[in-house]
Amino acid sequence: METIINDVVDPRDIKKFELIYLDQQRHGPVSEKTQFEYAWCLVRSRYLDDMKKGVALLEDLFHKSRPDDSSRRDYLFYLAIGYTKTKEYETALKYVKALLKIEPENHQAKELKKLINDKLNKEGFLGMAIVGGATIAVVGGLVGLGIALAKKSS
Amino acid sequence: MSDHSVLTTLKILIIGESGVGKSSLLLRFTDDTFDPEQTATIGVDFKVKTLTVDGNGAKLAIWDTAGQERFRTLTPSYYRGAQGVILVYDVTSRQSFSKLDAWLNELETFSTKHEVIKMLVGNKIDMDKREVSKEDGLRFARKHQMLFIEASAKTKEGVQCAFEELVEKIIQTPGLWETEKQGGMTLMGSRGTSQGYCGGYCVI
Repeated sequence: METIINDVVDPRDIKKFELIYLDQQRHGPVSEKTQFEYAWCLVRSRYLDDMKKGVALLEDLFHKSRPDDSSRRDYLFYLAIGYTKTKEYETALKYVKALLKIEPENHQAKELKKLINDKLNKEGFLGMAIVGGATIAVVGGLVGLGIALAKKSS
Repeated sequence: MSDHSVLTTLKILIIGESGVGKSSLLLRFTDDTFDPEQTATIGVDFKVKTLTVDGNGAKLAIWDTAGQERFRTLTPSYYRGAQGVILVYDVTSRQSFSKLDAWLNELETFSTKHEVIKMLVGNKIDMDKREVSKEDGLRFARKHQMLFIEASAKTKEGVQCAFEELVEKIIQTPGLWETEKQGGMTLMGSRGTSQGYCGGYCVI
């Protein structure tokens, strides 16, 4: 699953599907298929702006789709992939859980959920370590101050 | 297997109509599991497995593509650089067999390596109501210079062989992988013939 997350689209593919998307946009409403194809390329881009644009296009597709639409699983999966790539793990987790509600045994979704949780735990731990480090610095500072004061009063 | 005995990394692609059992074949091969309720693949899936063929270790990077129509324009980007392709049909579905020509055309269009080795797999031989005979499969494979085997992801039959035969053939075609070899390792013990060693049909 890590490979799927790190998989980067060929810039020529973004260009190709972007042209189709822009062309349709000029001549009327963009088809669901075209929007999905363009979004699928964007979320796999190496650039954050592209990923965010892709995610926005997918969210738009998801909100427009009917609850029984079979393509919803595809939107949810790539939304979870997109948010994992932008490191917004809580949102990614929300989408992958929504996908697992539709298909509880989907092994791609299960693997993705595990990967997101691993990243959350790791970064949560890192966050704690940073806060912990700051605490030591503050305590150190106070101790230093105490010593200084003690020296002064003696 | 220790890492230094891995000769090369090979990119393998699995393609074919929706529902023929591409992911089931892969999961049988990599995890030795089978899920009768296997869900349709979303976009592409990826697995790695190390395999030893003729004493040579090869790391397989396997891309399993969605067969569904909605991904048809998107998955060809994964064809680039593939050294081996497994084209799957369902022996109980004539329709999946008659679509093989279209899949080969697709491959011809998007594959970047002209010598790419192709393996045709007729899956689901454990099931009744067969609609495609073994002879039909073999004839198609021969006509298009492909390796051929019938298999069942459910019973395991032919699954390991399909991958082994494909890898053996790739290794025997040095132009396909030589540029990717690392650390100056050389190929040893190549048999030089394409005689299948596990009952598969080699038709190249």
